[in-house]
Amino acid sequence: MTEAPYAKPLPRVTPDNKPFFDGLRAGALRLPRCAACDRFYFPPGPVCPFCFSEMLEWSATSGRGTVSSWVVVHKAWFPAFQDDVPYNVVQVELEEGPRLTSNIVDIDPDVLRIGLAVEAVYDAVTPDMTLLRFRRTG
Amino acid sequence: MTELIRNTTAIAGIGLSKFGRGLEESQLELGLVAFKAALDDAGLSRDDVDGLSIHMGWPLGVDYDRITEVFGLDIRYVNQTWLHGRFVTHALQHAALAVAAGMADCVACVTAISFTRLRGILGGPEDDEGTREEGGTHGEAPAYGLTAPASGAALSMQRYMATYGATSEELAEVAITFRRHAALNPRAVMRAPMSVADHQASRMVVDPLRLYDCCLITDGAACVLVTSVERARDLKAKPVTIAGMQGIRSGREEFIFAPRGLGLGQQTVAREPARERDLEVYRSAGIDRDAVDGLYTYDAFSPLVLFTLERFGFAGPGEAAGWIQGGRLGLGGELPMNTSGGLLSEAHVAGWNSIAEMVRQLRGTAGETQIEGASVLQWGTCWGDSFILRN
Repeated sequence: MTEAPYAKPLPRVTPDNKPFFDGLRAGALRLPRCAACDRFYFPPGPVCPFCFSEMLEWSATSGRGTVSSWVVVHKAWFPAFQDDVPYNVVQVELEEGPRLTSNIVDIDPDVLRIGLAVEAVYDAVTPDMTLLRFRRTG
Repeated sequence: MTELIRNTTAIAGIGLSKFGRGLEESQLELGLVAFKAALDDAGLSRDDVDGLSIHMGWPLGVDYDRITEVFGLDIRYVNQTWLHGRFVTHALQHAALAVAAGMADCVACVTAISFTRLRGILGGPEDDEGTREEGGTHGEAPAYGLTAPASGAALSMQRYMATYGATSEELAEVAITFRRHAALNPRAVMRAPMSVADHQASRMVVDPLRLYDCCLITDGAACVLVTSVERARDLKAKPVTIAGMQGIRSGREEFIFAPRGLGLGQQTVAREPARERDLEVYRSAGIDRDAVDGLYTYDAFSPLVLFTLERFGFAGPGEAAGWIQGGRLGLGGELPMNTSGGLLSEAHVAGWNSIAEMVRQLRGTAGETQIEGASVLQWGTCWGDSFILRN
């Protein structure tokens, strides 16, 4: 029996964000960092939104952060999420500053709260795409 | 220099189709009903319209070029925006700006949408705007299962609740108040009374938002005709003057469905009261905020009402959930809002149903929902754009 193809929506890979997804596939959470003002930023783009420099470097982050907001989705807008409801979606504020939207794996929705400490995990959903998710550490 | 636009343009006519769910009529048919009704209201003919401002095009609505072809219009100014609510204010503002600049004499703002026939667009696989890389237009992240337009409002409300101690029971006041207004409005799709218990018993959609925190999904059309204030004075209906306006705010400190400073997306966390630059609509109109007799907003989700009140300083940061209690937003209250029932209970005509209600209020023809002595009304969204109408 062959495994069913991955039916959930996949991120759109662009020249701006490709290094992010390349990082995930290599098991690293890399974000754009401005070499001029030494700040990480998100979303990816060709210029630092703080100092407007184009000295862009992709740098590894700690992968650690805290939940800055969360929701629990109870309705399946896409059929492929039907078996997952209810499931969480969170925004995580990384230690380096930027906030990313993701899921927390293996967690009871009742313990979700703002400030919960989490770390990155890498979920290879297809041979070409690895998604960033988080697990609770605190 | 926002005074340049002050009292130069007016709404000369409004027209509505019926509102409902599962309507059989095409968007063109609904739009035609609204367009003809607006012309009749103003005492204008089709040939008087030389501009079009389309809030939502294909496939939810109808694109400008199809409308001009089908209705037989000959147009010299067009504006058309994204497929969701964000640009409602913008669509009316561009009509006013075009008239003020002489690029058109009379602009028809037409919104004709069939949400129920196109459900897949609202958070489903056909929602291209929701799948934009690094976040959809409402904060969606489809790869992670966050696809509904409610997503951004839910993420914001969760953090707002945790930050300020607001509760779902307090939020219920929004939906209950607008339902009370809808009960007085025969066009409204949802008119049955709602209690806090009803609100709390409604199913969770995207926690912390319940079904009754989310607007209706309906079909319908509205048309608003904008012309110069001089011309409007000579027309059939009592003109309603566009007194002032301010544009949409955008930047890293803005998240479409959150107040500034809340800490959503890339926002800085700060307790930030309404800033002078968010109050320029009052300077533009030459009035004080205290002169506003009623406030109208894009209530796609109930938290947006709280965030709008804080955006314009009616309530301080984190205070709106408490401030609205006790009927403050109801007819006869301190600041009546969305008096025809809004998107939450009248219909989702992308806000134009509420703009039409503002015009009726200022003409004194709102009937059961009339705000006594209404002379200055504000439209404003939580993302910061606004206009003020007066009679």
